This record gives sequence, structure tokens and C-alpha cells, in this order.
Amino acid sequence: MKKLLHLCAAGAVLLASLVTASAADAKLVVAMLPKSKGNAYFISCKAGADKAAKELGVQLLFDGPTDSNAAKQNEIVENWITLGVDVIAVAAENKEGISTALRKAQKQGIKVITYDADAMTDARSFFVNQATPEGIGQGLMDEAARLTGGEGEFAMIVASLTAANQREWQKHIEARLKEKYPKMKLVAVRPCDDLKDKAQSEATAMLSANPNLKLIMAICSPGVPGAAEAVKQAGKTGQVKVMGLGLPNENRRYVKDGVTDSIILWNTGDLGYLTIYAGVALAKDELKKGAKTFKAGSLGTFSIVGDNILLGKPFIFNKANIDLFDF
Amino acid sequence: MNTAKRDWQALLTRHEMLLLYVLIAEWLFFYFAGTTTNRRGVVVGFGTLDRQFDILRHSCEIGLLALALTPVIITAGIDLSVGSLLGLCAILFGQLWHDGGLPIPVAAGLTLALGALAGGLNAALITALRLPPLIVTLGTYSLFRGLAEAITHGSITYTDFPETFLFVGQERWLGLPTQAWIFFVVALAVWLLVHRTTFGRTFRTIGLAPEGARYAGLPVARRLALVYVLAGLIAAIAAIIYTARLGQAKADAGTGYELFAITAVVLGGISIFGGTGSVHGTLLGVAAIAVLKNGLACLPVVMGMNAAEEMSGLLTGALLLLALTASVLPKILSHVRSRPHAPAP
Repeated sequence: MKKLLHLCAAGAVLLASLVTASAADAKLVVAMLPKSKGNAYFISCKAGADKAAKELGVQLLFDGPTDSNAAKQNEIVENWITLGVDVIAVAAENKEGISTALRKAQKQGIKVITYDADAMTDARSFFVNQATPEGIGQGLMDEAARLTGGEGEFAMIVASLTAANQREWQKHIEARLKEKYPKMKLVAVRPCDDLKDKAQSEATAMLSANPNLKLIMAICSPGVPGAAEAVKQAGKTGQVKVMGLGLPNENRRYVKDGVTDSIILWNTGDLGYLTIYAGVALAKDELKKGAKTFKAGSLGTFSIVGDNILLGKPFIFNKANIDLFDF
Repeated sequence: MNTAKRDWQALLTRHEMLLLYVLIAEWLFFYFAGTTTNRRGVVVGFGTLDRQFDILRHSCEIGLLALALTPVIITAGIDLSVGSLLGLCAILFGQLWHDGGLPIPVAAGLTLALGALAGGLNAALITALRLPPLIVTLGTYSLFRGLAEAITHGSITYTDFPETFLFVGQERWLGLPTQAWIFFVVALAVWLLVHRTTFGRTFRTIGLAPEGARYAGLPVARRLALVYVLAGLIAAIAAIIYTARLGQAKADAGTGYELFAITAVVLGGISIFGGTGSVHGTLLGVAAIAVLKNGLACLPVVMGMNAAEEMSGLLTGALLLLALTASVLPKILSHVRSRPHAPAP
């Protein structure tokens, strides 16, 4: 028995010394946390982040829950804290929940930045804002009104009823609706948990419950193709319009088939790129509180309002221009 | 009879010793492979005291569920509902405190009672209706989770718990993570129950031969009921610790934890067919999985390997299968050795 123990220990030490040889280069380590790892939206963010990390010569860790799981996000951040990374960049699933862990990270001298979905303001230095909620809400509502001719019933699919950015967008969509389009009526809002098949079944239920529905608006990226598939299978192509926030690649087929009319989004690769540049600048003390502008590599200069670094205006993808983009 | 019994015990000891070697080997590997000095000259990774405390902190909930399952599986039962019950109890606790306006200790006490009650539901269905535990707890597995989701509409998250409560999950007391003390107390209590009381020893009898135990005059139904109520109670304790660690209670709390706990129990040498096993085996099983999972999470920074989550699932599975093979190997070998005397076909 003792022999076996010695053998095990010796084996472990040997293996370990083999791998430590390749370790320990003193690069700046930036850890990036998406809401969910497999979501194409965040994968395209990562592509931009990878590019920035390469240009800056930093090590990028990209890890997140496989589903949108707030508890798991906390565990990953706690892991990074004890690993002593230099920067943590977070897209928060649950604003209050994640902030406990982020404050702990800040106490240990780790720089915290948020992107896509903000945490509590005292739990991070800056928020890389992909577009103001107001800009997104108005952009979505205006496009919906344009597609329906400004009247009739429409329904919404959201990621979850709790995610802070979703609630914020919804608020601005409803405000715009009330203010400018009195003949349109929002008849249902359903969560899809960031899953395409859930979005599809929710959309199918919406179609049968609301025979007068003229448009479905999805404000989470798996929601748009999910809704499009439901409309297509129900044989209501053209009769019920589909639009929302999403990625060109996920929706290309439906846009070309004429099921989905418009996709509204910012450039997600740029979002990842800008986030990493800002995070690294924070760690190097080049980006400080009160700055008014920030220059991020090849993308140029961005304006900062308060502690929000603004990426820019949303963009509308449709049948005419979708083939110019690949992400 | 006596020698057979001694052989059996020897095998059991051997399995636990084997697991201990695996644990030590894992620990040494990660100590050397998972530790490094970062850019700011600070030692980070597996070889830090903080990390060891983190391992302990993160294993408390799954460890508690494994302890809850130990007596259950020894009686040849199973409880698939403990993870869902953790979620339900977390929600109930959050609701009692936040919406009910109760002080934390009262809310916690009520949550424990509700956990035991939910365990009682399992117990009643299993003992009174004589339904198989697998089917009953498969039902309550969905029922408890469904209730938690229905109560919160899948969207409410209880947060903003007071600092004094978060102390239980996030701070240290007398040098160790606070919740570790609770875990140790529960572990000791379950160990005493299973190994040091006549009462607990009957669990093994029931697991080996329930009919025999019944004919021998043991109150089998009552003993079984107790085991499931205890499991519910411990799941509720785990729920409170979980809430304190994350500072939030949400309906998805503890999703999939029951499978980690069952893995730890089986890895610890408890036969899924009942009758054998020990609480210290379970604890070793929990530690082996926790060290593996946490150690792997250190490797990205040290080795630039970025797939800790995926690897930990794969390696946990491999570890379990290896341990099971290793533990039945002596039996098979002795069986093969005794065969050459049989006439060739």
C-alpha cells in the first residue's frame, strides 16, 4: 500500500514539473465573462476581444455559464479572484447578484469593467455601453412602426424578465409606443431564457392566442430566429412580420426568405474589442475616472458619458445589406 | 461467516484507502501544476491558503447533499429530489424573509421545518404506498423545482440579505469558512448516526435485506421514513448556506447538484444496491471531486488551458469509473483465480 502511495505522489510531481515549465509568463491577464458561453452573440464579442488581446499582448480568459445562470457567474468570478487575474470584464446576468463578487474583486485590486449588461455602479469602474437603452428602444419601436404602418397588435419576446438591460430596453420601447404610436398595441411579453426553441414555442403560442397579431419583436438574439421559425411553420410568412435584436448570421436564412424583415444591432465584435482595450487601459492606469474620450486601437476614439463608454448608434440589417456582414 | 465478514471489511477499507491516495495525488498534482506567481509578484492559484478555503467553501452544499444521500443509499434507496429541494428551500427562505418580513433566524428555522416536511412527503409516498424511491423522488424532483419556479414565476431573485447573514456564506469564523463549521457538525452527526448507533446500523440491514429486517421485527417503514426526512432537513440546511454564499435566492439554485452528490457517494464506496458504505467514504468522495474541479479551474491561468468546465465533467466521470473498476477488481481476480480448477468445456 505504501509503495502505491509513493508511486502516486511521484507520478503527480513528475507530471506537474513537466507542465510548470511551460507556465508562468508574466502577461497581463484579462478575464471576460459572457452571460452564456455558447450564445453566438457572445462568441462574436469574443472574436473582437481576441483580436484586441493579440494586439495588446495580453492573455485573455473567456469563460461563462453554458446557460444564463447567475449563480454560476458568481462562481466563475470567485475563481478568477483567487487566480489573481488583472482585469475582469463582465456581462451581468443578475445586476445585484454579481455585484457582491465584483466588489470583492475590486477589494483585491482587480480592475472591473462591465459590457453588454451593467452591474451596480459601485461594483465596476466603467460600463462599455453598446448603445444607450433609449437609442435601442426607440430604434426598435420606430422600425416596428415602419413595418406595420404604425397600427395593429404586436408582441415581444425577451431573454428573461429579470435581466437589467432587457427591462431597460422594454421600458424605452413602451415609452416610445405611448408617445408616438397610439394605434399600435403591445399584447404580450414572454421570456425565452435565451433559448431558440423556447422562443419558438412561445411565439407559436402567441400566434394562436392572438389571431390579429401583425408583428413579433424579439429583443434577445436567439429570440428572432426562434420567432421566425414559428411564423414560417404556422404559414404566416409576410402576414406576421418578425424583427428584433439579433445577429446577421443567425437570421440570414429568414431574412432572405422574407420571414424576418429587419435585424437591429451594433457591431458585437467592436464591443468585445473596445471592452478589452478599456480593461487593459484601466489596469495600466491609462484610463481614469472623469475621462471624456477613449482611444481603442484601430477603432478610433469613443466618447465617455459619466462612467459609460459609448460604442455608438444601433444599425439596421435587412435583405439589402445583410450579405455585407459575417458575424 | 466471521472470515467472510472480515474480508468484506478489508475490501471496504481498501476502497477508502485507494480514494485517499487518489485525493493526495490530485492535490499534489494541482499544488505543483496549478500554482504560479502573477505579474504583480503574488503567488496565485491552487497552492494558496485562500484557494484551499475556497475548495472547502464550494464543497459545503454538495457535501451536505452527499451526507443526506448517504443513509438513503445505504438503505438501498435513492433521493433524486435533494437538488430541487435545495432550490425550493432557497426560494421559501427568501420569501419568508423578504416578503414575510421575518427575522433571518426565524425564516431559517421555518425553512428547515419545510425541508423536513418535503422529505416527509417523499417518506410517506415511499413507505405508506410502497412505491420505489427512484420513481417517487423523480416525481418530487420535478415537483419541488416546478414549485420554486411557479412561486417566483421563474424571474424573482431575492437579494440584499443583511451582512450578518452573508457572514455565514462569505466570511471566516475561527479561521475556517463559516459554513464549513456547519458542514462538519452535520457530518459528525450523520457519522455518529450511521456508525455508532444501533439505530443507524439497522440502515445496512434494511439495505441488504428489507424483508429479512421486517421478519426480524425491525420497524422498517419508520426507519426508512426517518432517512428521507433527514435528507429533506439537510437539503434545507444546504439551501440556506447556498443563499448566504451567493447572496441571492433564485429558483434555479442547486440545479444538477443531486447528480454531483450521488457521484460523490458512489465514489466514496457506497453500493448503489444498499447495505454497505461509510460516511467517511462519502466525505472522501466529495473531497476528491471538489479538488479535481477546483484544481482544473486553476489551470487556465497557469497553463493557458481554457476548458476547465468541460474537462472537470470528463475527468469526474473517468475518476468514478476508475474507482468503481478498482474496487471490484480484487473480487473479479479472486474469482478468476479460483476457476482454473473447473473442467474445461
